[in-house]
Amino acid sequence: MKKRLISSLVATAMLAVAIAPAAIAADLTDVGFIDQTALGSLPQFASANAQLAQYKAGLDQQFAAAMKHARTDADKQTVTMRFQQQLQEKQQELVGPLFQRAQLALATVATNRKLSIVVDKRIIVYGGQDVTSDVIGAIRSSQALNPPSASPPPSEIGFVDQSALDNSSKVKDANQQLQQYMDQQRPAFQQKLKAAKTDAERNDVGAQFDKLVSDKRDQLLKPLVDQTKSATANVAKNKNLLLVIDRGDVIFGGTDITQDVQNALNK
Amino acid sequence: MSRTRSINKRNGVALVLAAAAMLGGCSRVDVHSNSVRGVAYVRIDDVIKHHPLYPQVQQLESAIMAINLESTMPHAPLSPQEIAQQTQLLNQQLKDAQSRANAAIQQKQQQYNAQERQADIVALKAANIDPKAAGLGPQMNATSQQQARAAAQAAQQDLQQYQQSVVAQDNAAMTSVAQQLSKEADQKFRARAEQYQQEETDLSLRLAQQDATQRLSLRTKANNIAMDATTRQQVAQQLSALDKKEAEQVAALREQHQQDLAAYQKQLRAETTAAVQKQALAIRSQTNAKLSARQQQVGAQLRGLGAAPVPQQSIPPDVQQQLIKIHQEFGAKFQADAQATVAQYNATKSDLDRQFAALHGEDVGATGAAAKQVNDLQKRHDDLLAQIQSQIQREANKIAKDDGFTVVFDNVQAANGGYDLTNDLIRDVESLHE
Repeated sequence: MKKRLISSLVATAMLAVAIAPAAIAADLTDVGFIDQTALGSLPQFASANAQLAQYKAGLDQQFAAAMKHARTDADKQTVTMRFQQQLQEKQQELVGPLFQRAQLALATVATNRKLSIVVDKRIIVYGGQDVTSDVIGAIRSSQALNPPSASPPPSEIGFVDQSALDNSSKVKDANQQLQQYMDQQRPAFQQKLKAAKTDAERNDVGAQFDKLVSDKRDQLLKPLVDQTKSATANVAKNKNLLLVIDRGDVIFGGTDITQDVQNALNK
Repeated sequence: MSRTRSINKRNGVALVLAAAAMLGGCSRVDVHSNSVRGVAYVRIDDVIKHHPLYPQVQQLESAIMAINLESTMPHAPLSPQEIAQQTQLLNQQLKDAQSRANAAIQQKQQQYNAQERQADIVALKAANIDPKAAGLGPQMNATSQQQARAAAQAAQQDLQQYQQSVVAQDNAAMTSVAQQLSKEADQKFRARAEQYQQEETDLSLRLAQQDATQRLSLRTKANNIAMDATTRQQVAQQLSALDKKEAEQVAALREQHQQDLAAYQKQLRAETTAAVQKQALAIRSQTNAKLSARQQQVGAQLRGLGAAPVPQQSIPPDVQQQLIKIHQEFGAKFQADAQATVAQYNATKSDLDRQFAALHGEDVGATGAAAKQVNDLQKRHDDLLAQIQSQIQREANKIAKDDGFTVVFDNVQAANGGYDLTNDLIRDVESLHE
């Protein structure tokens, strides 16, 4: 009995070794990451970002004042769009040329290293290929950078533009309801705050309000989030993608499935 | 801590599976299988909630929430005098911040000038050139440097004075507008109050006229000396009831008017605040434009003062290049250092601007001491969170390395493959503190 079991084990092991190379796909190694903070610390970026931050600080005040006078939701939307556009234009003017060179440098490095995707360092917990120093070197070099002739290879890491999905009317409605709910509840908690005598009591009121808002957010938004996650997972399955991340974390390459997810959600 | 999954050894099939897993090279998940491909992901936000220090993070969040909640409480509108008084206080704080920033920048400029001069001397001596002969000795270019410093100082003072005068004009205009609008509101309120008073008087007269015949009759009766005590008392009561009825009607109207007046006052205050805000926005916008234009003008003047010093004696090109490089290096250091001072000043100014806006009834969240408290709490919150994240990161690295993953992601939107390390990491983080 024992002998038969051992021979069965050996046979299975041999079989596993024999079929393994053909049946098991290789590990995913074409994932790179970049430390955008290091990139932003380069003198030319730091200077442009400081100018942009200063501009934004002024704009924020103007925005807050303009929003005070916006009576309807349509007014608020118009004001928001106007200020966003102003900021984007300034950003384009200050950072645009630098950003373009950084993109070219990244594309060159990624192509040389045969990477299908480069993501922000913040979302890499372990592993991946760090391309930060190579990209900084390429940006600093005096030579002209040309776009690589080949497009990045297809990636098994997909991405969705979460901000585009958040723009759906359902999500907007839910956020609006949440805001209304907060506005309704706030005065009662402010009264409680007035009655609170110690810091602990005040913090307790803060925690109660926080929990109330959090619960309401879960109630209003979680079903939508779950729905989006489910649609995203289905699209990922259909497209043979391993994982799907947010567009905001993707710096180069990857497989964009935003439109597919939007279509699935609109069905 | 053992993360190895328990293996059921009850039958041979399990044994075979265990052997296959061993061949795969991983103790608990087949990292290299088709569905995993060496990829894992983790929901760090979920893991953080299981860290033993997380309750402290929540406490800090609650404290921040309480302050923010308080800062959005409605406050009674201030009188024009109070607005003017507090505006003066804010202006003084702004002036102090400007003085501090200017003094700090001047000090840094002198410090870097001295260091640059010393570096120049060392470079010239190394090239066997007498610094004095080259006009770069300790007293080098003393006149021109002094002139440059004086010009920079004058430009700064000029800017400061200009800022103060523009801000003062702004505040004077604001105070005047606030007073004017407040006066108009007072006039409207007084007019309404007088109208109500007139209505109350009219009602009182009307009621008196209506009851005049009855009152006369009762008084005539009361004056009859032959009347018995009981009847006299009844007549007196009737007269009293008549007075009371009239008084009650007038009182009811007065009560109604008081309520209306209170509502009207509230409405006027809201209208005044809105009008003041509108005017404040327009005035501040003009002021900012003026200040910005002047700042650019002075900035251009100061940049013009920063050119490399011209040596008085012919110096070999390579040494000249070295001197220019030294000048650029110290110039860059000064710029970076000055930038920090300017950033600090801007942060103060930004908070003062918010306080100014809040003073005029705008909802700008926490300001002043409350804003500082929120910032302090936020910093503690962020530091603590970073500490927790760092520990989780270390643990995740260890697990990923031990298991042989090639890459581990955070913030994944959806997964069709890969291995979810979240629960393993939660167990790991919890067990570390047991």
